[in-house]
Amino acid sequence: MEPLGNATTTARNQTATPRRSKSYGYSRRSLGVELASRFGTTPGHLTAVRVTTNRGIPKPRNLNDQVDPEHIALLVKKEWKLSYVTPLYQFRHTQLKSYSKQLATFIVTEKQKGVAVEIGAETGFKVVFTALLGLAEGEDAETVFIQIYSKPVFATNGEAAKVVWSGWLSCIAGEADFLRSLPPDFTCLPLFGASGAESLTALVKSWFGKTFDCQFGPLAINSTSLQWLAALWTACNPDVNIRYLKLAWIIPAQPPLDVSYTVHSQDAWELWNSIQQEGGLKDKVDIKEVTRFIRGLESNFFCHFRIHLSAGSLIKVSTSLGSAHQDGKIRISSSDMMRSILSLLTECALLKMPI
Amino acid sequence: MDDSAKQLLRLIIRRIPSNKLYSTLRKWEHLSKKQFESLDFTQPKWLICDNLLSLCEENDLSAKHVTELELIHRIEQPTQGAWHVCQLIDAQEEALTSDLLQFRESFKLHLKGLISHVAVKIKKHEDDAIWIRIAWGDNFTKPNHLKPTYVVHHLQTPYVFLSGLNVKHKPLLHQALVLATHHESIKDVHLSGRCLTALRDLLMRQYKQVFPVKHPRPLQERSPLLTHPNIENEHAKHAENRLQMASEVFGDGTLPKLETALYKLETRYRGKERGTMGAREEPFRGVVRFSSSNILESLKYCTSSGMAAAPVTPLLSSIVQKGRNYFVITDKGPGLSQTPGPKV
Repeated sequence: MEPLGNATTTARNQTATPRRSKSYGYSRRSLGVELASRFGTTPGHLTAVRVTTNRGIPKPRNLNDQVDPEHIALLVKKEWKLSYVTPLYQFRHTQLKSYSKQLATFIVTEKQKGVAVEIGAETGFKVVFTALLGLAEGEDAETVFIQIYSKPVFATNGEAAKVVWSGWLSCIAGEADFLRSLPPDFTCLPLFGASGAESLTALVKSWFGKTFDCQFGPLAINSTSLQWLAALWTACNPDVNIRYLKLAWIIPAQPPLDVSYTVHSQDAWELWNSIQQEGGLKDKVDIKEVTRFIRGLESNFFCHFRIHLSAGSLIKVSTSLGSAHQDGKIRISSSDMMRSILSLLTECALLKMPI
Repeated sequence: MDDSAKQLLRLIIRRIPSNKLYSTLRKWEHLSKKQFESLDFTQPKWLICDNLLSLCEENDLSAKHVTELELIHRIEQPTQGAWHVCQLIDAQEEALTSDLLQFRESFKLHLKGLISHVAVKIKKHEDDAIWIRIAWGDNFTKPNHLKPTYVVHHLQTPYVFLSGLNVKHKPLLHQALVLATHHESIKDVHLSGRCLTALRDLLMRQYKQVFPVKHPRPLQERSPLLTHPNIENEHAKHAENRLQMASEVFGDGTLPKLETALYKLETRYRGKERGTMGAREEPFRGVVRFSSSNILESLKYCTSSGMAAAPVTPLLSSIVQKGRNYFVITDKGPGLSQTPGPKV
């Protein structure tokens, strides 16, 4: 395992050097990015990926043409707990069948070792790896979806095995420079989402770690990313009705005070539009506009309740298209904006990754 | 004892936690002292239940007696469901002199006049509160004892606390209450929460209040760690003022426990991004919800710590002053006004 680890670091150090000077050109603090949360986990190291300060307004696209609707349905409506993953060594999309068997064997062995995992009768137990083709673009590796099936302990004979755990590894619109700079044996799928028993999540992570020499870490969604999501969702309201924009803060009072502010979609969009019109560029969104939008909502709240929301922290953003929580839990309710949410989260994961 | 009564008894016993079973059954006055002592509370619940059933058979008790047991349990556990508050308005002269006996008779009479299949159980609690348990049926079905409505009322006060009331039965109950208490009408005061005593304390102002004083209280002795006495003094003065203001608005000591406050905003946009939004005539629609294990404590903390700017907005102080936690806010004229909100 050692030489592989070294390979990763040297490879990435080479690519990191030229871009480092680029990102030093301006102050990160001025971009509204919390230095502490971006670099808190890796003191002394800089991330090779640049913090985005502007994005295109996502155009809702009908993914059904490119991706199998059944595959989309797998990602929609569930709540996913996110993690970041370092690049996988010698992962092959052509080997998914064999991975299915290996992971199943691994889980069964761990169970026999006495690890408390509820997987029911071993006959109905199986693991399925699927590639969700069509979601990826450009340099991205195709998304991989994993399902663990199991029969309940007291199942009747005819009963089919149920999905007890599902998860996926994805990379949507990852920074092309970074992806290209990886050595050929590495596949970058930095975003990992899991739904199901924590004990199974831990086993899947440890199998991936052993097999592909990668590391997992918790992916919290910081308030800047939540603000981005709020703005991008609002911006697409004319195309897809978001129905409402709900922001939730927690104020550090004693006892802690939860404040939620749900704004009518049309009114939220008009506020957004008034800010965008002054900005000039119609199809691009700048971080400054995002900040002004959130301040605009916070100040309207302040004029009514005289409570400084900035004293607390933004912890959740939701619309009818989906929701994202600061602790790294997301829910995607519609395929319309799926790719843009995943690309934002891919970026978060790449930034969080220790180098 | 018929099967449905037996089933009801089993259900109720199941709902009462084991450690509360002894005290609840002791308050139930339908077992003789000897019978009560024959029950062994160290046995498993189902066994106690079986023994209890045979005692009930012995005493020839019916569903009516069994529901009383549930009423006793509910009185002991007032935080089990959500409570809504209604206010009786325009008291007639007789309202001041009515007593429990009169109220009991008149309430039952009026309610049964409105709906034929209904079971009512009334009990007076130690703190003079009247607890009413109502099981509703309709023209063709027997009263459903599994989903009863609870009503709590203190005679000679205008407030009625309701729990588990569905929309269909609301007008019937309202009418019976109005007639039995000798009032003209009843209205929703838009206050709800899980803690019954907190709602009562809030409405009847039974919490420690602080009144505005001309001369601020003398400063307390400071610790010797002063960086600069003047700055410290200044800060302490501000902190003192904020605390005084927060206490004047929200009260002092332990505050009544409310879990939520909801505001429907139908006001124009007032935030900083005035641009085209400032000129907009239409309201900027939104809903704001505050929640905490005790919102009054949380809001008081926000004010005293400076997270909320002074003075406290009438929107927040209205929770205490008007005893409500649901508001619809609209623009009326130049100032901020509050309409009573839709009838719930």
